[in-house]
Amino acid sequence: MLVRSQPPRRVLLTLLSPALVVLALVTLGPLLYLLATSFTPLDLTRPQSFRFFGLVNYRQLLADERFWNSVMVQIKLSTTTVGGQLLLGLGLALLLNRPLPFRDLIRTGFIVPMILPPIVVAIIWKILFTPLLTPLNLLTIPLGLQQPSWLTDPDLALWTIVVADVWQWTPFTTLVLVAALQMMPGEPLEAARVDGASAWQRFVWIVLPLLKPALVVAGLFRLIDSFKAFPLIFVMTGGGPGIATEPTNYYSYSQAFTLTFIGYSSAMIIVMLAATAVLSAAIIRLPGLQPDVE
Amino acid sequence: MSSSGSRPRRRGPRVDGWTCLTLALLFAVLSPVAWLLMMSLKTEVDALAMPPRLLFEPTLANYTGLLEARFLGPLTNSTVVALTTTLLSLGLGIPAAYVLSRTRGATNGLAFWILSTRMAPPIAFAIPFFLVYRTLGWLDTLGGLILVYLTFNLSLVIWMMRTFFDAIPFSLEEAAYIDGASTWQALTSIVLPLTGPGIMASGMLCFLLAWNDFFYALVLTRSQAMTAPVAIVNFMNYIGWDWGRITAGSIIVAMPVIAFSLPMRRYLVSGLTAGGVKG
Repeated sequence: MLVRSQPPRRVLLTLLSPALVVLALVTLGPLLYLLATSFTPLDLTRPQSFRFFGLVNYRQLLADERFWNSVMVQIKLSTTTVGGQLLLGLGLALLLNRPLPFRDLIRTGFIVPMILPPIVVAIIWKILFTPLLTPLNLLTIPLGLQQPSWLTDPDLALWTIVVADVWQWTPFTTLVLVAALQMMPGEPLEAARVDGASAWQRFVWIVLPLLKPALVVAGLFRLIDSFKAFPLIFVMTGGGPGIATEPTNYYSYSQAFTLTFIGYSSAMIIVMLAATAVLSAAIIRLPGLQPDVE
Repeated sequence: MSSSGSRPRRRGPRVDGWTCLTLALLFAVLSPVAWLLMMSLKTEVDALAMPPRLLFEPTLANYTGLLEARFLGPLTNSTVVALTTTLLSLGLGIPAAYVLSRTRGATNGLAFWILSTRMAPPIAFAIPFFLVYRTLGWLDTLGGLILVYLTFNLSLVIWMMRTFFDAIPFSLEEAAYIDGASTWQALTSIVLPLTGPGIMASGMLCFLLAWNDFFYALVLTRSQAMTAPVAIVNFMNYIGWDWGRITAGSIIVAMPVIAFSLPMRRYLVSGLTAGGVKG
């Protein structure tokens, strides 16, 4: 009897090609177009500006202080949010992995921040950091404290974004780590317990190493996503005060759509894409950090 | 991943210090949402009262105010766009996912390319889409938004569904062929029904991502095709900040995704990491 391990080739192609064509059309096509516009001085207010002028945008980028500021803001934002989400996510995952009454319900409650529409998250934190509206007044008024103007203070504004982002996405790292904890083999932990290892020793020497792949995956996904941060900044600070909370993604948006410099913005995004790709590839290849990309 | 539900029930876990800590954290995490809900039910006087009022007489005035503010149009747009893009992504993505599952090995590179399209920030797609739509006259159309949402939802469906197809042995289809079924019959009557939960989960996640989008809608729509998240932000540009409508609108936009997420929590990880984690 003929034993096939898959349906006929013709059928496979018929099923596969529509999706591939559409996907190429909506992702590959636009990215090539973006690459093309990055070599032009394209400006929406000036017709005829779609012409090749080489690497001018890229050279201008190197000399643009506002761009370098945006890179610095991005680095601060990415490291603090991803770090915070991994730390808090780890703690929360350990808590949620313990026996709990109504565990499913409680776990579900913790994911609410990450499934809320991002614009709603932004509005919530805009309210929480607006002195006139915030429930913090329940504490500060009885104590006679004065609240700083969180969102317009150059030293504080970025931290408000960090807090909001950590609140929004810690559920994600928690979920990934809870899943990893559930798949963890029980024997090594049991053996260590029998050998008299303390809870802390078991955590550091057994649980943490076994969690490493999950930590890397969670961190990597959050890192890549941290380059996309938009609604929080748009609603809470608008990139301000000045350019204090303006990461590269937001700066490129302003260049393209607040101003009209499409060409320049495109070059910036291409650089960002390249940096993202290089960074992710580097992280995945770090020795001992092979996440299970499957 | 098996959650506690399938395990034989142990004697109820004891309530200890860790449990109390967990519950306190849950309260802290959810209280910002509670504050939003409270604000949406307050009159302006109550909302601005100093010190803030925890007890107040709730009113639905902000919600009825949304009707006057023509919030129903954007809400309908959001629904239509999210539903259509979900159906399209499923229709295109499920067959492709099936093929990528059955030809695993040969098509791994292709599958990885599909995954990598999700890395690009939305602004990378927004600029070319904006330029092309401007030429074609597709700016501010529902069709335009539906198409652009395929940039993230199509690859999502393909990756999620591939894992679900992997779990179905080919011998099941083979048995159907031996009984004289056509390829089409085998797929629709044997394979697809078995992936029902996967289809539900991918569909819900597609809906969630499209419904939650703010960025593309901000860039690619103006008024006709404006979606609910953009409409809410526009309440900020009215005469001052209309907090009543902003908060009421936020609650309304948040409700469907909260209702959705409860049954699909366990699929969120595999969906959002698009197969990066087996879970």
